[in-house]
Amino acid sequence: MSWTRSARAVLAFTLLVLLHYTLRPLLGWRTPVDFLVIAVLLAAVRVRPGVAALIGFLTGLIADSMTPSAFGAGALAMTAVGAAASWLKAVFFADNVVLHGFFFFVGKWAFDIVYVTAERKMHGVELATQMLLWSPLSAAITAVAGVILLLMLRPVLEPQPV
Amino acid sequence: MARAVRSGTRGDTVLLVACCVMALLATVLPVNLREAIAGGLRRTVVAPLVSLQEQAVRGRSAFLSREATTSRYDSVAVRNMELSRLEGENQRLRALLGLGRELEWGFVSAEALRVQRIGEDNTLTLTVGARSGVEPKTPVIAPEGLVGMVRTVDPTTSIAIMWTHTDFAASAMSADRSAYGIVYPHLSETGRGENIPPERYLLELRGVAFRSALKPGTPIVTSGLGGVYPAGIPIGTVLGELRTSEGWARTYLVRPAVRPPDVSNVIVLLPKRVEDQSVSRIWRSPASADSAARRIAAAGDSIARRAAADSVRAAEAAARRAADSTARTSDSTSGRATPTSVGVPVAPRAGQPDTAARRAPVRSDTARAPVRRPDAAATGARP
Repeated sequence: MSWTRSARAVLAFTLLVLLHYTLRPLLGWRTPVDFLVIAVLLAAVRVRPGVAALIGFLTGLIADSMTPSAFGAGALAMTAVGAAASWLKAVFFADNVVLHGFFFFVGKWAFDIVYVTAERKMHGVELATQMLLWSPLSAAITAVAGVILLLMLRPVLEPQPV
Repeated sequence: MARAVRSGTRGDTVLLVACCVMALLATVLPVNLREAIAGGLRRTVVAPLVSLQEQAVRGRSAFLSREATTSRYDSVAVRNMELSRLEGENQRLRALLGLGRELEWGFVSAEALRVQRIGEDNTLTLTVGARSGVEPKTPVIAPEGLVGMVRTVDPTTSIAIMWTHTDFAASAMSADRSAYGIVYPHLSETGRGENIPPERYLLELRGVAFRSALKPGTPIVTSGLGGVYPAGIPIGTVLGELRTSEGWARTYLVRPAVRPPDVSNVIVLLPKRVEDQSVSRIWRSPASADSAARRIAAAGDSIARRAAADSVRAAEAAARRAADSTARTSDSTSGRATPTSVGVPVAPRAGQPDTAARRAPVRSDTARAPVRRPDAAATGARP
């Protein structure tokens, strides 16, 4: 990856992180869009799995610093999602919008499952409701937002040759 | 999206395992250590993001609170509008109660319902009828003065015309009885006929003798001539003289005492009360119509009456206590009564005027007012 493309990817990543801490609390939805997962997924498919895991770990750690009671859970979930995305992108390689949406959906859902499991705060019905209702809903919204952002950021991420 | 880099090297695996191990370690760290690391991150690397998040949360809270404030303001404004209407209605009803207290007998109070039809805006439907003793041509009054008269009567309702009706006429005089005339609604020059609405809600005092010049502001009351309206009911005040073609009499423009939009509850004077001709004492000071209206309104103010009664009772009790203590003091010293010292209230002795004691007992309800005339029951009045 060239230096320019790397800079553009870093810019898009930073933009998504900023959106996570500005737009998300501003919207205040019950099932919020997870811009961090989108950022990690978009970054992960451009780097090697080890680097993707490191990016996921650091991003998760930043998110965990806001919730010390679940410290480490976000880092673990983000590491897993980042590494898996980097590997899976090599397997399911496609430039299809629907596939990208599905990719975001699965990534967010997987993140939530790992996060809730590692957090060890929910049990029984509450855990099932979170995993089978709220997490898929949030994943769906994140997938929609991810596709929209991907379309908007396409000129930045993949500049057309002049 | 760009093609991903094929993976599988040992370095990637090592990095992945290391990240996973560190993350797992973070989850099992002691609470204080976890807090310390998280706090350190928040104060350094994550500080700008924390600040951004705080601002976003504050912005959302401000937006939500603005909505709540706006809705609260709206509801308060709506209630305020309702309050002013209720205050007005309360004031009118109190004034009507006061008028009822002043009248004491020979009347029935009624709600005045407006007929919402074109050409019928000068009539009122009253919620009392023949069963309450109402008869045609009985006067309809309000605390401010004359409203009109009953035209047709049914068993439970009756129809009254207001002074704005083209058929209205009342024998009137100036309050000092220096000028007499007939009051009519003030109509436009071309509109003095049937079904022509009066102009500008004013009255005319016609047929005033040429020698009787009335100044603007002179109160006009009913004269009692003609037998329909008892004497002394305020009609309005003179605004000025109208130039007419008649050379033998003057015509004056009169501002009515009662505004038609304010008429919602009225009092119908029953025939025996009209014959009695004692209504004029209610508006005994027609020269100051405002003060008379205030007095009537105050008479209907039960709170003010109760406060006055309480103050009278307190004064009486204080006087009684002072008299007792004085009597005890004189008994213990010389065995005979001594003059009271300065500043100590003296209880009224027999034959001594006592204004507080002589005040009439305050009634809290006009329904319980004593009927002074024995024939009041025969009239079917509801004092």
